[in-house]
Amino acid sequence: MTTAAAPARQGRRGAEAEEHLGKAYDLALMRRLWRFIVPHKRLVWIAFLLIPSTIGLELAQPWLLKVAVTDYIAPQQFAGFGSLIALYALLVAAQAGSSYLEQWVLQLLGQRAMHDLRIAIYDHVLRQRTAFFDRMPVGRLMTRMTNDIESINEMFAAGVVTLLADFVKMLAIVGIMMWMSVQLTLMTFVSLPFLVILVNYARKLMRRSFREIRVRLAAMNAFLQEHLSGVRVVQLFRREAAARGEYDEINAGHRDAYLDSIRADAMMYALVEAIGVLAIGLVAWMAAMLAGAGPDTATQLGVVAGFIEYINKFFIPVRDLSAKYAVMQGAMAATERITQLLDMEEPDAPARAQAAPVVEDRAASLVCFDDVHFAYAQGEPVLRGVSFDIPRGATVAVVGATGSGKSTLIKLLTRLYEIEEGAIRLAGVDVRDQKVDELRRRVTVVSQDVFLFGGTVLENLVAGTTKDRAAAEQALVRVGADRVLARRPEGLDTMVADRGANFSAGERQLLAFARAMVRNPEVLVLDEATAHVDPESEGLIERGIAELMRGRTTLVIAHRLSTIRNADLILVMSRGQIVERGTHDELVAHGGVYAALERTFSRRD
Amino acid sequence: MPTPSVARLTAWSYLRRYRGPIGGGMAMLFLTNLLFVGIPVSTAGAIRAIEGPDPAAHVWPWALAMAVFALATALTRIWSRIWIFNAARAAEYDLRSDLFGHLLTLDAGFYRKNPTGDVMSRLTNDVQTVRAMWGAGILNVFNTGFAFVTVLVMMLRLDPITTAWAIVPFPTIVLVGRVFGKRIYKGSRDVQAQLGKLSSDLQEDLGGIQVIKSYALEPVRRKRFVAASEKLLQANMVLTRVRGQLVPVLGALSSAGSIIVLWVGGQRLSVDGLVEFSQYLARLVWPTLALGWMLSLMQRGQASWSRLEQLFATRPVVADGAGPAIPADELKGRLEIKDLTIEIDGRAILDHVSITMPAGTTTAIVGRTGAGKSTLVDALVRVSDIPKGTIFLDGRDLTTLPLGQVRTAIGYSPQEAFLFSTTIADNIAMGYGSGRAVPRARAEELDRIGARTAAADALDPMPGGVPDPRVVTATEAAGLAKDVARMPDGLATVVGERGITLSGGQRQRVALARALAKLPTVLILDDSLSSVDAETERIILGHLRAVMSARTSILISHRVAAVKDADQIVVLDAGKVAEVGTHAALLAKGGVYAELYQTQLDPDELGALTASPEVVS
Repeated sequence: MTTAAAPARQGRRGAEAEEHLGKAYDLALMRRLWRFIVPHKRLVWIAFLLIPSTIGLELAQPWLLKVAVTDYIAPQQFAGFGSLIALYALLVAAQAGSSYLEQWVLQLLGQRAMHDLRIAIYDHVLRQRTAFFDRMPVGRLMTRMTNDIESINEMFAAGVVTLLADFVKMLAIVGIMMWMSVQLTLMTFVSLPFLVILVNYARKLMRRSFREIRVRLAAMNAFLQEHLSGVRVVQLFRREAAARGEYDEINAGHRDAYLDSIRADAMMYALVEAIGVLAIGLVAWMAAMLAGAGPDTATQLGVVAGFIEYINKFFIPVRDLSAKYAVMQGAMAATERITQLLDMEEPDAPARAQAAPVVEDRAASLVCFDDVHFAYAQGEPVLRGVSFDIPRGATVAVVGATGSGKSTLIKLLTRLYEIEEGAIRLAGVDVRDQKVDELRRRVTVVSQDVFLFGGTVLENLVAGTTKDRAAAEQALVRVGADRVLARRPEGLDTMVADRGANFSAGERQLLAFARAMVRNPEVLVLDEATAHVDPESEGLIERGIAELMRGRTTLVIAHRLSTIRNADLILVMSRGQIVERGTHDELVAHGGVYAALERTFSRRD
Repeated sequence: MPTPSVARLTAWSYLRRYRGPIGGGMAMLFLTNLLFVGIPVSTAGAIRAIEGPDPAAHVWPWALAMAVFALATALTRIWSRIWIFNAARAAEYDLRSDLFGHLLTLDAGFYRKNPTGDVMSRLTNDVQTVRAMWGAGILNVFNTGFAFVTVLVMMLRLDPITTAWAIVPFPTIVLVGRVFGKRIYKGSRDVQAQLGKLSSDLQEDLGGIQVIKSYALEPVRRKRFVAASEKLLQANMVLTRVRGQLVPVLGALSSAGSIIVLWVGGQRLSVDGLVEFSQYLARLVWPTLALGWMLSLMQRGQASWSRLEQLFATRPVVADGAGPAIPADELKGRLEIKDLTIEIDGRAILDHVSITMPAGTTTAIVGRTGAGKSTLVDALVRVSDIPKGTIFLDGRDLTTLPLGQVRTAIGYSPQEAFLFSTTIADNIAMGYGSGRAVPRARAEELDRIGARTAAADALDPMPGGVPDPRVVTATEAAGLAKDVARMPDGLATVVGERGITLSGGQRQRVALARALAKLPTVLILDDSLSSVDAETERIILGHLRAVMSARTSILISHRVAAVKDADQIVVLDAGKVAEVGTHAALLAKGGVYAELYQTQLDPDELGALTASPEVVS
């Protein structure tokens, strides 16, 4: 039996009564969380030992008060009173120490479990295929891994475990009180019906109110977020007044949603205290009724003094219930959202179940597109029956207008997206029958908007390989990117700013070439940048491309005449189909689309 | 838009309207503290009855008094909290509303410098901190004050010596509260910093997901993320240690007070006196603990307030013109740009640009990326500021006209179509001041808890499921009707966050329909069909010809089919007007235009063009 099992037990009882919205505990969700606690069971056990120790040390204190009153203060004799005071002080110090350890252990447990959960979500997300990221806004994924995890973490600080500890403490208090005086205890419980009614009323009020607050707050923030990112539209279409009208309404709803929770909170806080005083009054009254019949006055006074303390301690956790309720509700909602994310499974490029073993065909073309069809969205085909071969060591250049499907070829070859019809083969083997990480190691893509990660240039160049600094330097020199770093004192250790903002577009291109060179891929896929750079960089980039392609099987989406002219095969694409194919000379002679394009190219060059 | 003037605004201005309830709440707070004293007094009375003769006869008035005082204290306390907290929430509403209204007046320059995330954090975190200062802050500061005055008087009345001893630990408690408050603040800042680091790592990973996947960088990136998560764990544990120390230390300090009272008071007071005294002491512990916490709450509230104040103090650079507006019947749509130069960071993005667009004509603007097209459009719709006397609408300087008129007169459809996550009909109806903007998913949640928004309903462009004719007409003109007909919910289809459920071309056409629905005097299409395939574009342009003939139109496009029928084509190159003329004239000239367009042609069109004699020549 461990700490998280108790709320689970409560959960079963509450499960029928609760709506699917606004739950403060949910068995199924708790089970999902439990998986992340299991590896840290040891901490659970330590906490389990510390909790009773803290409670015991705390509850011994009113008992000492009772002894002090009965034995020393009521009879007014103070021999040995000092040692009792010293013992009291000792208990206070021990309680402080035990409670500190308990908090520390629980927090460590929570933090470690949340660390594991965060990584589990991260792994899960990175495993998804590219199409998943097209639909899932980055902001939402970020919220899952930051805010939602923090909400669950709060539960460890203030929720389940403390609720359990409070429950144990209250039971212990009742036990001690019974042992001190059954009649007085029974009298105390006369006040309990008021407490039950109050707690029930406040709980209902709070559940509704917290749920409403969450919905309205989410609506308000979503509204704000959209209006701030789309503020230009708001202004250009003069929607300011309408937007403010809608916002004020949501805002007012948000404000009013708090009315109930403020009322519930105020009532809990004030009335629980009042019921506590009422209980003390009843105890005093009962003690007076029993005077003469029961034990002597000194004992009776001590018991009353002790009872006052115990009753106060009994009521404090009840008073703080509302705060914990909110925390639990928030944590459950967060768990639900995280669970939903973890249940979304669109795995990235799994290898197909194999009937025959993979045998590479050395004779076949290294890359082969065979009647490939593809659409990102249903009914909007991007590729319509594309077929071509790239023999080993050859260069194939693709030209065509924006939207003709050129870039899609690249994404399909590396299986960022999965084709619908036809086949793509690498050395005679369907890419879908290959391990995706191996495939991506063999085929390296250099895309036109270069994405550099934070960290040093060196880290960017060798990431994901076993190559060292020397290899990186060599690659830089070969593609002519060494000049980029020559101007920077830190050289390879230069830090890359957010998204490579401290390098110009041309410099980023050169670094990307070096990154590809380090990986020395079997197949190079190159998406030439259309962005205009200064003539000096242009020359450098051209040389870099040539060096990178030297002797390598290359598929290039070309924008430079030099690249196209030197290609072994040129494909002209239009609306997802290859409309012309041949070498430069053949196509010019043919006098078709390419010939017209070529004229403009030569003018620009 | 009424924005509170900066001069009279302080952190407390927003409470002025709620003086009544706050005053009432404070009075209740004072009463609470006064009535509370009755509880220990009657408890002591009950105990004296137990000690004395015939307890059964003497105890009940005291027990009754305890109940009465307890109830009275509770009632006044409830009202003090309700009044003060509700006032704080009401003031928060006012603050949020003013902030939002103010934010809507700020221009593109502000939003470039302040990412949405930062502004959101002001609107959520800072507003919350200020509200905590107003509610919990006020309540606790006054409660602490009242409690000390009333309780200290009663304690002194019982026994000055015990009182003197009892309050010995109190300065330490205040001090500890203060020191820990600072440590916790620092700890939370470190946690926030680590969380920020983790978030930006994560953002990078999600932004570069294609690179990560195609370079098989998953293991490397994972390692980095795990390290960041580990660091966050460490920072959290530091904070936990501080928090974990605070509670036991303060608990022990307040218990020290009780022990002292037991030791000193036990020898100087009777049992009933001791019980009474202990209750007073217990009453002081919380306000004393809270004092340190309150001080830091107030400090953070003030810091948040000063950030909000800065926001209020930010004025839009693009200001309303002095007016008067052009009378409706004189608004024809003749646009004239005279020697317009716009510099950003010392670089001339637009360099002495002059263009005349007669009313009712179509002007196409072409040029490479970075030629200054978007800057020109931003200037026309007054999203960015322009020098006086550079752009004229029907002969009137644009800067002298009210912003409202300029924006009503101009219908603008951008390349990056921004859609709100509501229905297609809502998004289109926004063009003419209708349409709901509350995110649909959220609106449905609100519906489920029975909190429908009435203001939004009034803006519904499809009351009872029947769409406004204006929306339907615009949908057809934008070539969207067929797409909409294929969707199961038609115009009521929800477009998802940023229109994510639509294709790029559909998004652009919704934005186009929105601009058309406005029936503007001047229509600007900023490359607004770039994601639509050539065939569809041809059809849409056919529809649009009728719409455009009635108004001044500005077309920015990369496709020859879109611009070749324009009355004039303006070629921008490096911020300058390089060429002006008709399609035929410019092609014949064989300059920048001819070059630019042939390189970006769709091969099919190029094929068609090659066949036509004018290109060959």
